[in-house]
Amino acid sequence: MKRLFGAAALAATLSAPMAMATETVVWWDFLGGGDGVRMKKLIEDFNAANAGKIEIQATTLDWGVPFYTKVQTSAAVGEGPDIMTYHASRIPLAVSQGTLTEITADDMGKMGLSADSFAAETWDAVNVDGKQYAVPFDTHPIVLYYNKDKLAEAGLIGADGLPAGLDGLDNFTAALQKLKDAGNENSIVQVTADGNFAFRTIYSFLCQQNGSIGSDGDWIPGDNAQKLSNAVKVISDWVANGYTPSYTDYPATVALFTSGASPFMINGVWEVPTMADLHAKGELFEWGAIELPVLFDRPCTYADSHAFAIPNNVGKEASPEKHAAVLEVIKYMSDNSLFWATAGHVPANKAVTETADYKAMQPQATYAKLTANQVFDPKSVHAGVASALFDAAGNAFTAAMNGETDPDSAVAEMKAALDALQ
Amino acid sequence: MLRNRRNELIVAYLLTGPFIAIYAWLFVWPTIQMVMLTFTDAPLIGEGKSVGLANYIRMFNDPVFYKAVKNTAYFVLLTVIPGTAIALLIALMVARLSGWLQSLVLAAFFLPFILPVTVVYVLWDWLTNVQFGMLQGPIDWIMGRNVNVWRTIPWFMPGVAIITIWWTNGFSILLFLAGLRNIPRDLYEAAALDGATRWQMFTRITWPLIWPITVLCLTIQLILQLKIFDQVYLFAIGGRTQATMVLVQYVYESAFQRNAGGYAATIALALFVIVVAFSVLQYQILRIRGQR
Repeated sequence: MKRLFGAAALAATLSAPMAMATETVVWWDFLGGGDGVRMKKLIEDFNAANAGKIEIQATTLDWGVPFYTKVQTSAAVGEGPDIMTYHASRIPLAVSQGTLTEITADDMGKMGLSADSFAAETWDAVNVDGKQYAVPFDTHPIVLYYNKDKLAEAGLIGADGLPAGLDGLDNFTAALQKLKDAGNENSIVQVTADGNFAFRTIYSFLCQQNGSIGSDGDWIPGDNAQKLSNAVKVISDWVANGYTPSYTDYPATVALFTSGASPFMINGVWEVPTMADLHAKGELFEWGAIELPVLFDRPCTYADSHAFAIPNNVGKEASPEKHAAVLEVIKYMSDNSLFWATAGHVPANKAVTETADYKAMQPQATYAKLTANQVFDPKSVHAGVASALFDAAGNAFTAAMNGETDPDSAVAEMKAALDALQ
Repeated sequence: MLRNRRNELIVAYLLTGPFIAIYAWLFVWPTIQMVMLTFTDAPLIGEGKSVGLANYIRMFNDPVFYKAVKNTAYFVLLTVIPGTAIALLIALMVARLSGWLQSLVLAAFFLPFILPVTVVYVLWDWLTNVQFGMLQGPIDWIMGRNVNVWRTIPWFMPGVAIITIWWTNGFSILLFLAGLRNIPRDLYEAAALDGATRWQMFTRITWPLIWPITVLCLTIQLILQLKIFDQVYLFAIGGRTQATMVLVQYVYESAFQRNAGGYAATIALALFVIVVAFSVLQYQILRIRGQR
């Protein structure tokens, strides 16, 4: 027995220098869908390129509240990962909880990145009180998916091969009516069972009227209540006029579009891989995706950003070597985010979206211009994905979109719920 | 041999000591800490400032809290007694079978119980899907249109109650069956000789003798259903969560989503008081009835 221990100790001593040479980076993400598959490929490529130096050990966890709770609790006891994906919209809460490590200008310099590498709103979203807490990896807005065959039949495809004549509420309604008259079961699908999810669309239409959601203390200031109500009314009118099926959940929404039952769908860019994969198998019509049409005064679309953040592991400071390895990982991912674009997301790094390769990518290159007109969540601990703000929208707008209450009282309900937040 | 009472006591403390210590450390102390938490504005993790009774004042003025109490009570009403009654009915029928057929039928009723709640959710979510669900056929036939069961507030709690009874009934059936098997056959034979009817046999023999099991089932169900969370949370997610809010869900939302540990502890304490009060009350009432 003693000899065995001796041998083990000797082996450990001998192998120690080799083990030291490979820095492991523990990675957590919440990417479970088509984008998760693509992220795994990026991680594999990184590990292959850095064999013997840095190794990413990745774990995928459940999206939403479970992920952020786990990150917060584990970082508080020093058991968090070395790097993780984070929604920019959730950074204010994380900062208030002390979960994130600041990313310094020095760090950014080492990665060859700076504020100028990103769109203004995207950069702003990862900063709280003048300090940077994450490195934006992508922006993921919602877009308008379309069935090119059906649109062509209804005469809604322009000379450039893209949908035409959709701007302005009246024109858009006329287009939906044309599609309905052409015998389509639905004209446009949009998740109507979850006001929480639909808030992305409603928030975009609010922004298109130059409206905005405030922040703690004064959530819906001034005439924004009216504008918010107008935005809700757009969807409730679609439902009332039979353009959009009522109380339809997420999977059914995607199914109604891919089955050809609805020529339009408003959804996140993360559904691009679904369409691309189906089309590659020959099971989908000719399709595309464009920036949301301007129904009101100016183009504007809701977006969030997947960013890389470094947790503040209490009592377990990262060594300089580990920190350098983490920066190396972020740099690699940012530099190689062209592949990430195949998941639909718009790479945050402008150097990537400006390449000829990206500009040749369809429909990504068509909708990427919307990053000039994007709006992020208001900066509050109560805002962001899976937040109290989204839940309030779920409670208020689910009934209103489907005609159970009117938009005005839904907005009043939402205002009351938000003002009660502490 | 004369026994030394002092020595006996020492041995008793020595033997129960480890249990009491662990119980105090892992159960009593956290409970005391939770009560102390209710007087602070603590976030989910870390210390908070003392705020006196502010959390209690807030809770008693919180419409969502009252909604959650009401919904929880409604759910208990929909599941505890109906669920137990259905279980007894099924157990009585299963008891009349014998051999492999009984095992097979019992297994069929018990099968849903072994499913995790997430599977139960996905299963029923598909069945009731407003566009493609199989159950929309009968719903359309009755209502004249497809209905999203989980977004129609009056349908929500009854819907979750039916699924919960379907899901958890197997366990109660098992308990009742064990109780039925313990009733001696000769009691029925004697009653039959005296010319008792089927109904008399049930009310005079089966029902009184199965009563302790019924009390047990009702108590287990009551405590379980007061703590309802998973099914309601899963079916309501993204939609009108406040209209169908139940107490544990509100604790979860306050603590994990809104980072308000102190307030969440206050609601948890309220639930704790309700569970203790109800189960003691129910147990006493049922015991008195049983002793008639």
